Amino acid sequence: MIAVLGLIAGVVAGLWLEPTVPTELQPYLPIAVVAALDALFGGLRAKLDGIFDDRVFVVSFLSNVVVAALIVFLGDQLGVGSQLSTGVVVVLGIRIFSNAAAIRRHVFRA
Amino acid sequence: MTATRPLDASMSLLTEVMRHPLDPGYAEASARKAAPGYRRPPRARRVIVLVTAVGLGAATAVAVVSLRAPEPAVLAARTLLEKQITDRTAQAAALRASNQALNDEVAGLQAQALAAQDPALIARLKSGDVAAGVTAVTGPGLRVSLADAPADASGNVAADSMVQDADLQSVVNSLWASGAEAIAVNGQRLTSLTAIRSAGSAILVDLVPLSGPYTVDAIGDPDRMQTRFARTPAASQLAYLRSTWGISTDVAVKTSLRLPGAGAISLRYASPLDPTATSVPSAAATTASHVGVASSDTEVVTLSSTGATRTTGGDAP
Repeated sequence: MIAVLGLIAGVVAGLWLEPTVPTELQPYLPIAVVAALDALFGGLRAKLDGIFDDRVFVVSFLSNVVVAALIVFLGDQLGVGSQLSTGVVVVLGIRIFSNAAAIRRHVFRA
Repeated sequence: MTATRPLDASMSLLTEVMRHPLDPGYAEASARKAAPGYRRPPRARRVIVLVTAVGLGAATAVAVVSLRAPEPAVLAARTLLEKQITDRTAQAAALRASNQALNDEVAGLQAQALAAQDPALIARLKSGDVAAGVTAVTGPGLRVSLADAPADASGNVAADSMVQDADLQSVVNSLWASGAEAIAVNGQRLTSLTAIRSAGSAILVDLVPLSGPYTVDAIGDPDRMQTRFARTPAASQLAYLRSTWGISTDVAVKTSLRLPGAGAISLRYASPLDPTATSVPSAAATTASHVGVASSDTEVVTLSSTGATRTTGGDAP
């Protein structure tokens, strides 16, 4: 639970402080947000499955965001940034859908 | 061997993504907790988890906020550019006005200096200004009008049914050949350096974009010009444009036309009138500057001795 509380505190702090994002990081934001969503849905599903773990949640969240940004960076350097971004979004999107379906089954029993 | 191979072995990646979206770490952690001899993680580790979570939450929130509001930066850039355009346009207008004032001053001083010394030179300068298209002139002449064909039901005009730069070039050249002494297209005075050409669908006269209907005013002896113009290629081209493409054309005699001056022309070439007469400033040039606009407002050009063919247009057909 400590990770979730920390996350909420971080969101509040981010909204309150509103720091400006450096221009060099701008291209990685969309993919990073999608990766964060994937980690969030994974955590929620794990919670409903009864196997949630703070450390796993935080590590998967962090690695998701970092790896997604790294892939975009690598793609930009190789000149295939948009294609790689599409691939990352497709994979993460499928995972989000599957996790959301599992959550739905938990919540509505259907 | 083949029986043990799963049917969807070639799609293991998709299966992995579709069937097992949850991070396996959760299951492992859960198993570890359930295993005998499990101890709670040390306090330091929990603090690290908390700090990392706070950082991740803040980063995500900031990313979402900055992604949701990309407009202000674009808008600011646009406003800046618009402001720059307005500023520069105003600057150009101010410079043009000051240029005009300085030209008037130069012309006045020139007339003042020459009035006592060489009245004949002033007359020559004035006639030179008329030929160069610098001063505004009035007089009788011909007015040739061309208008694009009316739009069809869908509001479009076919490109062929619009007046082209070549049509205007032909009309202007034929008017010069018919004895015109000064010509203006839609109020743009033609000089010996004026080009009539097209840029996209617009016709540029002296780099000023014009739109139809087009009015070509030519000052000269109306009767003689009309007779001679009827025999030029432009007359037959006008008839062809009218009959084939529906472009409305008209040639009319006007008793009084007023043509604006083309403004100051920069001095490109100058030579002394008479090398021995040093008292006369060597200001006589092929393209003299603005002289006596005020008086030329009422001046009627009656010279009818030119008749020389002048070509206009950078890219004649």
